[in-house]
Amino acid sequence: MIASALRVLPWLLLPPLLTACARGEDAHGVRLTIAASAVGAEGALLERQVARFMRQHPDVRVRVQRTPDDATQRHQLFVQWLNARTGDPDVLQLDVVWTAEFAAAGWILPLHRFGPPTAEFFPAAVVANTWAGELHALPWFVDVGMLYWRTDLLPRAPASMRELLDVAERAGAAASPRYGIVWQGARYEGLVTVFNEYLGATGGRMLTDDGRAAVQEPASVRALALMREQLARGAAPMEVLTWHEEETRFAFQNGDALLMRNWPYAYALLADAAASPVAGRVAVAPMPAADGGAPTATLGGAALAVNRYGEHPDAAYALAAYLTAPEQMLERAAVAGYFPARPALFTEPRLARVLAVPVDQAYAVVLRARPRPVTPVWSQLSELLQIQLHRALAGQVSPEVALRTAAEQMDAAMARTGVRELMVRAGRP
Amino acid sequence: MTGLRRDERRLAWLLVLPAVLCIVLVALFPLAWTVWESLHLHDLRMPWLGRPFVGLENYAELAADRRFWGALLHTALFAAVTVPAELLLGLVLALGMNRAFRGRGVLRAALLVPWAIPTVVAALLWRFMFESQAGIVNALLVDAGVLERPIVWLVQARTAWVPVMLADIWKTTPFVALLLLAGLQNIDPRLYEAAAMDGAGAWRRLWHVTLPLLRPAILVALIFRTLDAVRLFDLVYVLTGGGPGTSTEPVALYTFNTLLQNLRFGYGAALSVVVFALTFALALLYIRLLGRDVLGRDA
Repeated sequence: MIASALRVLPWLLLPPLLTACARGEDAHGVRLTIAASAVGAEGALLERQVARFMRQHPDVRVRVQRTPDDATQRHQLFVQWLNARTGDPDVLQLDVVWTAEFAAAGWILPLHRFGPPTAEFFPAAVVANTWAGELHALPWFVDVGMLYWRTDLLPRAPASMRELLDVAERAGAAASPRYGIVWQGARYEGLVTVFNEYLGATGGRMLTDDGRAAVQEPASVRALALMREQLARGAAPMEVLTWHEEETRFAFQNGDALLMRNWPYAYALLADAAASPVAGRVAVAPMPAADGGAPTATLGGAALAVNRYGEHPDAAYALAAYLTAPEQMLERAAVAGYFPARPALFTEPRLARVLAVPVDQAYAVVLRARPRPVTPVWSQLSELLQIQLHRALAGQVSPEVALRTAAEQMDAAMARTGVRELMVRAGRP
Repeated sequence: MTGLRRDERRLAWLLVLPAVLCIVLVALFPLAWTVWESLHLHDLRMPWLGRPFVGLENYAELAADRRFWGALLHTALFAAVTVPAELLLGLVLALGMNRAFRGRGVLRAALLVPWAIPTVVAALLWRFMFESQAGIVNALLVDAGVLERPIVWLVQARTAWVPVMLADIWKTTPFVALLLLAGLQNIDPRLYEAAAMDGAGAWRRLWHVTLPLLRPAILVALIFRTLDAVRLFDLVYVLTGGGPGTSTEPVALYTFNTLLQNLRFGYGAALSVVVFALTFALALLYIRLLGRDVLGRDA
């Protein structure tokens, strides 16, 4: 048995050896890997764009590495690879809230040396992908939270939070539609993205620039109180506290809701007359403001970063720059429906032809984009916040108590991890 | 003679070596590694902190962590309700199936259906039934006059437990029933005849013949179910995600979040060690209390 095991052993060692040979430079020149979510049409598009890039750069071979579509799983995978200092993949698709974390950890290269076209991207996307004064990832596409409203039931989109509450409450009390407004209220990142929009509406904030919690401030408490009021008055159903994006879309698509907060992806699905009873009766607008704030859309989306341990940073940057160039962004908008991260493209007639969302409506929302706090410990802070938001919305505690608790825990987490000093240092020019 | 014995001993060692190596590799080594890891500050997302040895600091944090104690309490509550319920229901079903009647085979097979459904799928089924105010459970309860108006089960701390516990009882009672049925069929029917002859009624026969002889099977069911309950994860993950807030979060889900979402390996390892110690202690306790029978019978 031992003898046969010994015979098998070399074969077990072979694959790593083979991949070791395949990496880096060989007869074919530079080899790169890009790790991105690559399902369906999006995946096919990426392969096409990468093929075009290779035609322009005959000495470079690029492999698309499929990664889990679920953001949490992709994050975990990347962190494990980079902890092991693997140079593969060379280019990483980062969710907009990961850039600070990866930059502070030193896993991705600051991009200043490559001369990135920073001014050509949406300022909010630049802020979100900047750490220590330097852009660390090229914005690829932007996602924004927006208010979907029924054009057959309302004369116009609610112009203020007060008006939104009133029309939604009336709808919630009537037989049809069953619900006033629906949003993502389950205990996950989505809830914080919704909260971020109410924060903008009341002039509240989550963190100060020097890394202290600010969710306990009066304006922030008002934001949560607004959300709680919607539930208490039946403007939003209590069910939303278990809902993610798709549950809200189902309710809205079936004609059960007057208003919905959701991302742009829902628009094309709602406009599909074959599957959607509300097709042709939907428009989007920015979430409205309350006193003391401004209409706000939470910024989501993705950016491309260059792995610090990669062997060919210049080629990797060239690939990232190619994929985030105007032409490729337009193509992405056409195939996958993602909003370009470049404001100039919103005046491009071709975008109007390919984007499901009417471009003027889309642009009105994107202009209101506001990132979540740019901090290396975002997901920990977000989790602490999610729990307290959820408790307050479920009626277990008051908004004041919930947010005071959250603030204490967030401050403790930032102090414990030394992140506050990092943020203060990063904030200095 | 001694030479032969030494040879034999060596052969014996060689023969058990693969098994021992296996256990060391897949059980002891990971366990020791986890304990070692739990003595470090190790956060994958914060490489600037390094991986310093911090002694028992993680355990100290654990002792002061209210979310952890809450999770422990939730796990205990879940086990305390579901395990006895499953045992009782399983016993009733097993006694029923132990009688000879037509269609017994079909019934036994049908009974296993909930057990055969993957837990995640089962959890989704229960979620659909309880989820919305228009869900089937609300409709039935309102129609029957039990509820005045529909409630949102998954959003209140108390009611959110109902679908979780019901789903677990629904899913694993058949497993317990089959285990107990196997035990029942091992009991010699002549004992019942003798007891009946001595004038023992059905109740006394159950109490003095069936239950004592069923003890080993009950023990096995109890161990399996309790350990499973302590490791409760998937049902809650799908049904409530631990919410509202953290009101239904069990220890395993908290550990999962700490390790795989927050990537706090040191602290997560400390959590894992505590969960391991708990399950191990429970298993030992059961075996001490009831185990003589099981081991004794086989010997």
